[in-house]
Amino acid sequence: MAAMVNAWRWWWGILLAFFLVGLSRLFLPLPFIIEVLIFSIYTMGCSFLLGRVGFISFGQPAYLAAGAYGTAFYLFYFGSNPYVGILIGILSGLAVSGIVGPLFVRLRSDYFALVNLALAVIIYYLMQKVLAGITKGDNGLWFLTNIASTPVLDLGKPDHFFIFSILVALAIWAFYKYLDDSVFGACCLATKINEDKLKFLGYSNYGVRLLAFVIANTTTALAGAMYAVYLGFVSPEITSPARAADPVVVTILGGTGTLFGPLVGAIAYTGMKDVISKLIGNWELFIGFLLVFIMLAGEKGIWGTLQPWLERLFSRKKASPAAGEGAGARQ
Amino acid sequence: MSTEIIKTVGVTKCFGALVAVDRVDYSLRENEVAGIIGSNGAGKTTFFNLVTGYYPPDEGSIFYKGRDVTRMTPQQRVALGMTRTFQLTSTFDNLAVIDNLVLVYFRAHRDSTLLKLLLSTCRRHRNEDKIVATLETFDLQHVRDRLVKNLSLGEKRRLEIAMAVLAEPQVLMLDEPLAGLAESEIKVILEVLGRRVGKQTILIVEHKISHVKDFVQRLTVMHEGRVIADGGYEECLSDPEVRRSYWQIDTEQEGSKHAAA
Repeated sequence: MAAMVNAWRWWWGILLAFFLVGLSRLFLPLPFIIEVLIFSIYTMGCSFLLGRVGFISFGQPAYLAAGAYGTAFYLFYFGSNPYVGILIGILSGLAVSGIVGPLFVRLRSDYFALVNLALAVIIYYLMQKVLAGITKGDNGLWFLTNIASTPVLDLGKPDHFFIFSILVALAIWAFYKYLDDSVFGACCLATKINEDKLKFLGYSNYGVRLLAFVIANTTTALAGAMYAVYLGFVSPEITSPARAADPVVVTILGGTGTLFGPLVGAIAYTGMKDVISKLIGNWELFIGFLLVFIMLAGEKGIWGTLQPWLERLFSRKKASPAAGEGAGARQ
Repeated sequence: MSTEIIKTVGVTKCFGALVAVDRVDYSLRENEVAGIIGSNGAGKTTFFNLVTGYYPPDEGSIFYKGRDVTRMTPQQRVALGMTRTFQLTSTFDNLAVIDNLVLVYFRAHRDSTLLKLLLSTCRRHRNEDKIVATLETFDLQHVRDRLVKNLSLGEKRRLEIAMAVLAEPQVLMLDEPLAGLAESEIKVILEVLGRRVGKQTILIVEHKISHVKDFVQRLTVMHEGRVIADGGYEECLSDPEVRRSYWQIDTEQEGSKHAAA
């Protein structure tokens, strides 16, 4: 019984959040909710790298593109099963992060940010110019009609894709929640704040960072693969350098290093984009001002500001309140 | 005769024109409790850093149980059985006290491959007997779930030493472990370390000799990067060079005063 209560304490926040997202289907347009879900998965890796490991990455579109193009190549040239396409997208992200990771994670955080941006630019021009013969350049790959119907959840149908997105997002959140409580998660926080100490405990900072990098960017590739299947189209625009800062903006907007930050940030960002762009032409200008305001207000982001207020509101006393301050602190 | 566990031969380290450690030959025997003292800038901490692998030496060699470890990484030295603390308290401030100990416990007593790190939760190890006992020994139970950044300096220092002790290394190397502690806290730490005398090799770098004089079996005095005395407490302190450089007592003047008297 006690184990069940503990499990419930562990899970209730995530379940409630996704229940609310599911409920939003009743009064929000489907494309908006799906975009929020995919964007939040996209941001999760960036938030983990920044909040847990201390790496800021302006090259997340590179890994998004790896996933999207992996899926797109399969669905355009080879097959029609969207699940296989998504799996290939994930493996593409795993391969790219596995190849560049051993080089990138040796760098200091500022150089890490720039080298990732450089990778995004390289992939952008590869897809746009160098490999235009197979990527169709700026026209992109269109494969919506190639996607075959699948039993149970037919990803070709928007409602089914929505359910699939919620399930995937829930699984990703559960996984990151688990990571937060794992010894590996504690090592990530440790390497962020005191790599010397971790080294002198006998741990490999390099190994911890590399694994974190691969996990985070494979998650980003998953988001890319989902975008590809949802839109039935992929173009170099997905890895445009102009969009390089998006996941970082959403991470900071939502609350860096918090578990719900990416979801809250994605809702706020996509919402503002949709609402404000109807009112103001240059909606990015508003986002820029908002970001400056949030940073000046204490860098906590929306969730970081809301969390203490919500905790007071619900005033649920946990069995071991301060334990939550530690490795499993992200909420 | 116990075996030599750490040995340095002609170890030298320069920072630009400054020779921080100058051709130091040093040895530490198994289960010996030794201290290194010296005034500020004597090269104690640099020597400590060389032995633990924080810096590579410019010249000379470092041996651990007869094995040349001069070019080994700190992780490799930890795996061989060395654990150290830092002069400035070094803990993981963004983790809870208990999770700082879990990280040490996991590395020292479990298989700490990346896969195992990924498959194990901190929660599962927080109540391990050794961790609970360490918390009690160092009087840290009341702050076990508190983030380290919210601890006092004394509590942090106790935690760092607790982490080093929990690792159960063959050689425990403590860099000014008593700095900034209240007398009551110093007493606790010396009691804990005292219980390990004869069972573990301990090397302490300490600025204040009064704290460790009853505790160490052998003392080494450093001055301007060199070892100027090595031996028992009384032997070292009666050494004229130690009196001149460490205590700043002019032995010739003192002698002439005695003669005049």
